[in-house]
Amino acid sequence: MLSSAARDVEKESKGAVAVSHDWSQVVEKDHQRIIHSLAGNATNPNIYATIFLRLGTPAEDEVINLAKTYGKTKLIEVSLSEAKSIDKLKEIAIDRANTLLTEAKNEQRVAAPYSAMVLGLECGGSDAYSGITANPALGVASDKLVAQGGTSILGETMEILGAEHLLAKRAVTPQVGQQIIDVVARYEASINYEGIDIRGAQPSRGNIEGGLSTLEEKSLGAAKKAGNAQFTGVLEYAIAPSKPGLYFMDTPGHDIEQLTGFGAANVNITVFTTGRGTPTGSAVMPTIKVATNTEMATAIPDIIDLNSGTIADGTQTLEENGELIYKLIMDVANGQLTKAELGGHHEFNLSRLYGSSL
Amino acid sequence: MSITGFAHKGRGVGVRDHQLILPSVVCSTHVSRKIANEVGAITFAHQNGCGIIGIDVPGVDNFFIDLANHPNVQSVLVVSLGCETIQGPELLPKINRELSRLLVIQESGGASGTYESGVTQAKQLRDNFKSEKAPLDKLIVGLDLSRDVPGLSAIKTALTVAGFEVVSESEKAVSEHNLSKLMSAKAQVVFSFPDENQPPSGFPLIPVINIASTSPLHMALTSEFDLAQDSTVEEIVALINAVANGQKTKSELSGIGEIVAPRSVRSV
Repeated sequence: MLSSAARDVEKESKGAVAVSHDWSQVVEKDHQRIIHSLAGNATNPNIYATIFLRLGTPAEDEVINLAKTYGKTKLIEVSLSEAKSIDKLKEIAIDRANTLLTEAKNEQRVAAPYSAMVLGLECGGSDAYSGITANPALGVASDKLVAQGGTSILGETMEILGAEHLLAKRAVTPQVGQQIIDVVARYEASINYEGIDIRGAQPSRGNIEGGLSTLEEKSLGAAKKAGNAQFTGVLEYAIAPSKPGLYFMDTPGHDIEQLTGFGAANVNITVFTTGRGTPTGSAVMPTIKVATNTEMATAIPDIIDLNSGTIADGTQTLEENGELIYKLIMDVANGQLTKAELGGHHEFNLSRLYGSSL
Repeated sequence: MSITGFAHKGRGVGVRDHQLILPSVVCSTHVSRKIANEVGAITFAHQNGCGIIGIDVPGVDNFFIDLANHPNVQSVLVVSLGCETIQGPELLPKINRELSRLLVIQESGGASGTYESGVTQAKQLRDNFKSEKAPLDKLIVGLDLSRDVPGLSAIKTALTVAGFEVVSESEKAVSEHNLSKLMSAKAQVVFSFPDENQPPSGFPLIPVINIASTSPLHMALTSEFDLAQDSTVEEIVALINAVANGQKTKSELSGIGEIVAPRSVRSV
């Protein structure tokens, strides 16, 4: 419960980014999911250093110890019980942050192979254009990256529900295909367990207003983000892939919970297709927004990086637009800022399977 | 002792005069915070409003309505994205109609357009409708009993004798859920007994008075607590009266504390 202090450190330091969340630093039912989410985001390869503002609980030790096993990110702890006041905690953290920021500015870009690249594939606020414009165009870009030895991760289990049999056929082995089927069945059971028929709750009202009729229709369009490559494996939420290829990760469709899972899995950049338009971003990854239709891309240009509505307009082919997405991914990888970064968007949520009840 | 608060039309007399920028969905929390920072209003980060199902839909909806209608609130600007489950345009009619406005990002020129209109509207709500001072007949004091409290019945009796209405919540270990429920019960001042291993608690709309335990964490943080563990009931009553009349609590000064909406079901 030190989020307000973290936000103050962001405000008063010379460029640190705060991650706000509602964890109370104690063990709850979703403990493993939470510690993997926090440790993974703290050590995302895009991050130079992470400062943990902490109380001093054993549950926090688990996050920090896991993070230490993950990567090369510098990890610094500032403890409230040692600082003895919120003001002092913030003062120490701001001081440490500014020193680290100066160090980080001296870092040089280095050439990296495609295998260092992990792309996240996401859609949110989908409409009837999603499945015929932005999603398949992103699939073109994803296929190209995977063919060059990079990694792509498709998430949103709800959004492959109804299309899982088609994805399973693309698995590298029958075992991986079965994992895709099993993860979807597990997901549907976890919702039905609550007495809710997911096919009644989805597509969302925003989706229906955008012209989508059924969850199956939404899923068939959503899965197109993953192109036509073979699936190398299935990932649990917030767990990084161990080798390059195309993966499916079991994440909620909730846009921010999905971004948190990707950020924890070493995703460098997420491409986020949207029909209705959404401004959100991540604290640890550039998030590229691709519009599915020209009308929305024109109406809210401050949150859209690239328009795939041109495919429906007939002014670009799917392949031409997919190439543009691929080029933008590479430009962003080389330092070009996304609209979400320019707007300072870095929403963050912890994903729980058991609600907020402890 | 008498308490003077602020007359908030449709919301009752409050002990604080806060403006609330209410994001109806996680996607609008950043724009909401930018607006709130610019105009000096209160907002909060949350992960709700979309991808929620079952009893969480009315649960989160009612929680937002309770926040917007709390007596410590002077005015409300709801910031919606447009395609979320809890639709801002449907939320607005359910909250107090006085001094409540709505902006939809997808219909207001995106994030930057919404920010600019939001700042203008929030300032208008604040500057054109100054709250009048008014006497408060009955102060509702919330008790956050996150730890076991020796002498609790004596404290409750003293608060009742002092003329307060007392509501309490006693989920253990963390204060956030208790504070949310006390907010829904319209507590205007909360008296909090945080768990021995938790820091002082806070809730952005409500002054929270924290009383320490003798745990190592609390002993290390004495400057963040309003009262020590051995405080008398007279000291407690006096401080509640002072805070209700405007004295800021330690948690108000430090800004500690998040608003956590109750959730029972996973996101889809």
